Amino acid sequence: MIGLIIADLRRYWVGALMTVALIAMAVALGTAIQLQERSLRLGSARAAEKFDLLIGAPGSEAQLVLSAVFLQPAALPLLGGDVLADLQHDDRVVWAEPIAPGDFYKGFPIIGTTARLVTELAPEFTEGVVFSALDEAVIGAAVDLAMGMTFAPMHGQVEHGEAQHDNVEYRIAGRLSPTGTPWDRAILVPIRSSWKVHGLVQDEDRDSGHDHDETHASGDLDETFVQGQTPDIPAILVKPASIAAAYKLRQDYRANEKTVAVFPAEVLTSLYGLLGDVTAVLSYVALAARILVGVSLIMLAVIHVLQRRHTLSALRALGAPRWSLFALVWGQAIVISICGVVLGQIGGLAAASLISSHIENGQGFSLPVEFASTDLAGTIALLMVAAVFAALPALIAFRQPAATGLRGGG
Amino acid sequence: MPDLEVTDLCVRFAGLAAPALDVPELKVSAGEMLAVVGPSGSGKSTLVNMLTGLDTPARGAILWGRTNIGNLSEAERDHWRGRNVGLVPQDFHLFPGLSAINNVLLPARLARIASRTTVDRAHDLLQAVGLMRPNQPINTMSRGEMQRVAIARALLRQPAIVVADEPTASLDADNGAAVSSLLILLARQTGSTLIVVTHDEALIRLMPRHLVLRNGRIFADRVAEGVLA
Repeated sequence: MIGLIIADLRRYWVGALMTVALIAMAVALGTAIQLQERSLRLGSARAAEKFDLLIGAPGSEAQLVLSAVFLQPAALPLLGGDVLADLQHDDRVVWAEPIAPGDFYKGFPIIGTTARLVTELAPEFTEGVVFSALDEAVIGAAVDLAMGMTFAPMHGQVEHGEAQHDNVEYRIAGRLSPTGTPWDRAILVPIRSSWKVHGLVQDEDRDSGHDHDETHASGDLDETFVQGQTPDIPAILVKPASIAAAYKLRQDYRANEKTVAVFPAEVLTSLYGLLGDVTAVLSYVALAARILVGVSLIMLAVIHVLQRRHTLSALRALGAPRWSLFALVWGQAIVISICGVVLGQIGGLAAASLISSHIENGQGFSLPVEFASTDLAGTIALLMVAAVFAALPALIAFRQPAATGLRGGG
Repeated sequence: MPDLEVTDLCVRFAGLAAPALDVPELKVSAGEMLAVVGPSGSGKSTLVNMLTGLDTPARGAILWGRTNIGNLSEAERDHWRGRNVGLVPQDFHLFPGLSAINNVLLPARLARIASRTTVDRAHDLLQAVGLMRPNQPINTMSRGEMQRVAIARALLRQPAIVVADEPTASLDADNGAAVSSLLILLARQTGSTLIVVTHDEALIRLMPRHLVLRNGRIFADRVAEGVLA
């Protein structure tokens, strides 16, 4: 039987191949949507797992998370620098460090922060060490710059034609190990140098009479933030001492009108809800495509069986039992379905991986594309549906009268 | 080997006033060789369909031995035909993707009765019909060779009845003569009853008994003189 099925498929190989391709495309569409959605959830959740509590100025909570965690280029409203000083002296806080996105170099975002936050987010370095002077920088694993090189930040992205800051030149002191987060594409510099570059703090050396026209943002690293002397900050990342402390801090910093406090995971959950709605719509489109392809294939199979009724009837006339003709047609449909579904799954995986790779290159955070055990159940269910519907043309073959075959074309 | 006894056979098709086949009585002894002849539309194919259980009559009995095949269910008729009838269709109905040997074995394999003995017999039959390359793909064969494969396939299960429908119609004169001789020879060797539907005068001359049909009725039933039964 298997030999006959294979011989028959080889005889009609063009049609069989096109049918397999059609099934594969319909399956790949649904699989790609499913895998992509899962990888976005997984990747974004992993990227945010070290961000317990974010505090920013009142505004969009989603934007705060997107800018501070995923380093999306968007201007955040600033919150008073005293908040940082307060938090660093709060017993409920293990550490609180500033995050100040703003400038760029060769498309890589430059984040003003502290050495503490750098080592908390990425404890290991593949090369060098964390910055220890104001004119030093640390680069993420995916930043394509050489150790020891110097650069001047751009105010805005190069492609937008923004101006270069002439008052600082950073030297790359270290390269972080990969974290699989957007921070892999970031250049991290001392926040105090960012402030100096943007004229938010006085240059103490200049005040004392030294000439530093070329590198105003130089000098020793100072990461103490004092009440009344700390400039405004886009965001503060807080490591609470406990879960209870986290909720209390969130409550306290939401209660006043000057700050907003969010758990990034909470914001992501609501974004996932939105993503889920979009995915549901896309999944329905993919399902509709599968149904359309399925119906078309059933019709094609029925036409194919009717065109071959003489051959099928002849086989019966020659002594083949009816169930064997059913098995022949059904088996061919199943072989084609299995090939189509397997190729579709591979195609979907390839498409999702390609999209993820594209996003990873652009955004820096890894989107793990992987099958889950539920996918196997889905595939089996799909094949079972195919098996049921393949029975229709097989039934037509089964019911073909034997007398038809003795005469007529083969 | 069973005798055939047909009584009061009447076949009607929807929309036609006259019966397609009306045979009050027909007897064929086991091992006999019968040519069914007549113009197109005379009822030859209908008669063959009835005698092989491919179709059932509206009225009448078709007894092969003690089995009235008109009373069998479709599945029973399939089973009976598979065991007792070897068919040589006009259009061969061979599978181009398979070799000669696999085509011979195909019905047996589909019925799941292809034993080692069956495979050996298939090889012997291909040799007997003059085909020395059992693994030759069907699509590389001439029509004469294809018809030989079809004959070998029909004889595989050593059927008591061999029915050939226009076995020489698509062959040239030489191939037709060779196939005709072969068919008769092999049927004689196995002692099978041979029923041949044909227009081929050369083949008709080789058959000992001629059943002439016209308008669905037996016009003549004669024994040919000088033909070895």
